[in-house]
Amino acid sequence: MPQAPEVSIAAASEGGYPVLEDGLSPAGAGAPAFKHSRLQRLADRWAHLGFLVCSLLVVGLIGGILYFLATRGLAAFLPMAGNTGRTLSFSEVFLSTDWAPSSDRFGILPFIAGSLGVTGLALLIAAPAGVLTGVFIAKMAPAWMRNLMRQVMDLLVGIPSVVYGIFGLTVVLPLVSRTWLADAPASGFAVSALILAVMIVPTIVSLSTDAFESLPAALDEGAQALGSSRWQAIWRVLIPAARPRLLTAMVLGLGRAIGEAMAVQMVIGNNPQWVALMRESTDRAPFLRALFTPAATLTTELVQELPNTAAGSTWNNVLFAMGLLLYLLTMVLILATRRLGRGKEA
Amino acid sequence: MNVAVPVFRRSRTSKVVDRLMRGVLWAIALTFVAVLILFVGAILKQGWPVLNLGFLTKMPETLDAGGGIKPQIFNSIYLVVLSLGISLPVGLGAGIYMAAYAGQGRALRFLRLCIETLAATPSIVLALFGMIVFVQAMGWSFSIRSGALTLALLNIPVITRVTEVSLLAVPRELKEASYGLGATKLQTILKVALPYAATGILTGLVLTAGRAFGESAILVFTAGTNASAQFPDFRLTVPGETLSVHLWYVTSDGTLPDAREIAAGTAAVMILVLLTLNLLVRLVDRAIRRRTR
Repeated sequence: MPQAPEVSIAAASEGGYPVLEDGLSPAGAGAPAFKHSRLQRLADRWAHLGFLVCSLLVVGLIGGILYFLATRGLAAFLPMAGNTGRTLSFSEVFLSTDWAPSSDRFGILPFIAGSLGVTGLALLIAAPAGVLTGVFIAKMAPAWMRNLMRQVMDLLVGIPSVVYGIFGLTVVLPLVSRTWLADAPASGFAVSALILAVMIVPTIVSLSTDAFESLPAALDEGAQALGSSRWQAIWRVLIPAARPRLLTAMVLGLGRAIGEAMAVQMVIGNNPQWVALMRESTDRAPFLRALFTPAATLTTELVQELPNTAAGSTWNNVLFAMGLLLYLLTMVLILATRRLGRGKEA
Repeated sequence: MNVAVPVFRRSRTSKVVDRLMRGVLWAIALTFVAVLILFVGAILKQGWPVLNLGFLTKMPETLDAGGGIKPQIFNSIYLVVLSLGISLPVGLGAGIYMAAYAGQGRALRFLRLCIETLAATPSIVLALFGMIVFVQAMGWSFSIRSGALTLALLNIPVITRVTEVSLLAVPRELKEASYGLGATKLQTILKVALPYAATGILTGLVLTAGRAFGESAILVFTAGTNASAQFPDFRLTVPGETLSVHLWYVTSDGTLPDAREIAAGTAAVMILVLLTLNLLVRLVDRAIRRRTR
């Protein structure tokens, strides 16, 4: 028998499933052709179609979400059918910090800044801690510790956001306000970011562990052969080599943080006027003050106000515009991970 | 990989730094262990005094203290089962397509991009979509069916990914043997590849169930914050408040005098359920490993 069939399977298949779909021999030239009944061939073809429909449904969903959010979100800016609200200009929505829906003022800058602020702070904690834990699991921990850390991360990622929220509300907030703030309420960026950091750390840890584990062993061995200490190898060879994938891990962590709604809503204090409040404050420690000012983000404001607004009103439209913004942000972040991934291959 | 060849100096400082950083890494890792223990411990400790048979089997109160969470437990399970029932066929189908039919070119890359985007979409955005389409456009208002369908959107990318990965992990020899015996592609997938991948898919399914069980943002806007007064109420048209939504709602609403206790008890129940699911996954995983070894 010629060797051809094996070669052609390898060439034509993806993961061992032949790509040819003639219902006959999958192996192409040289392989024996099995006879299948008409029914079998039909089943094969219909199943193919069914699986294709499922995948197209997913693609359709991506477009569908965009379409429906856009019809409602853009109604704030464009005159559309069924729209009872006022048509706003982009600048009075995106460039204004004045949020007073009952007086017809819809500046969402406080929420954008709030989202960026709390996400940035969370990432400031979670990114270094996550990457270092990743390298610890991949390159330093003994086997038992590695297993323990995997389980800890699995459990942390599985805890629901409302449970994180109630933990923040009943344990962290009272503790912080009693210990450092002389019993002033502690809700605001600091505690929200802390909770968020714990929520996104498993994502960063698991992706960066993968990144370090997939590095060629020669890199680590070479560094050590050149006389590096464990830490020198990690800091000067392994982390730089894994950089594109570490950045991807951080971007995905960022995405999780910016989209989180319930946990943050329960601890951040939900004050849309936080920018004005901060401007008025004459504190001597403005930064510290900022960390403990009750604030609001895009997601928390949606949770807070969407149930109270009538569909089609200006207020409602602006809230959907905030949702659209979050969705577009997700797409940008995913495309950014693609860019980073390509950098790795090059 | 363009890493410049570094020069490592072995000095006393480098040794001190090395030892210091080892300590720091251990400390960070152990901090997370401590955080988890503290977290679970605090939730269980707060909820423990509330947890009793009455709490689990009583109907909730709207204004008085002493209500239970019976319908919420039912709704949580019902919604998870329904949403998995919707998302499993779609996720399996899409996963099979990606592993076996999509080839390796553009189509596969585009599908992966879509799956990743859907997986990364914040649940509050899915909630808005569900609210527009199911609650308002279809006129289903806040109901079990709106909730289950929107919740399915959360599950689909996870199930798809797990199916694809599990199918790609099936050894090539097995598939080739199946074709060699004259099986069609569909027969190979259904009778050889899927059974082999089943345990992996099952593990993923349990994890998906856990995620759906804990989800709240989606359900607040699609299944609503009320539970039916009947029990058990299998109707798809009634609002279906779940445990996680109840936990959030009593905390933020504040009309119940014992909201704190109810929230603490509900949180403890949820943590216990999730710990059990996690243990289940671990046991299944261990059993499989023992079998295949």
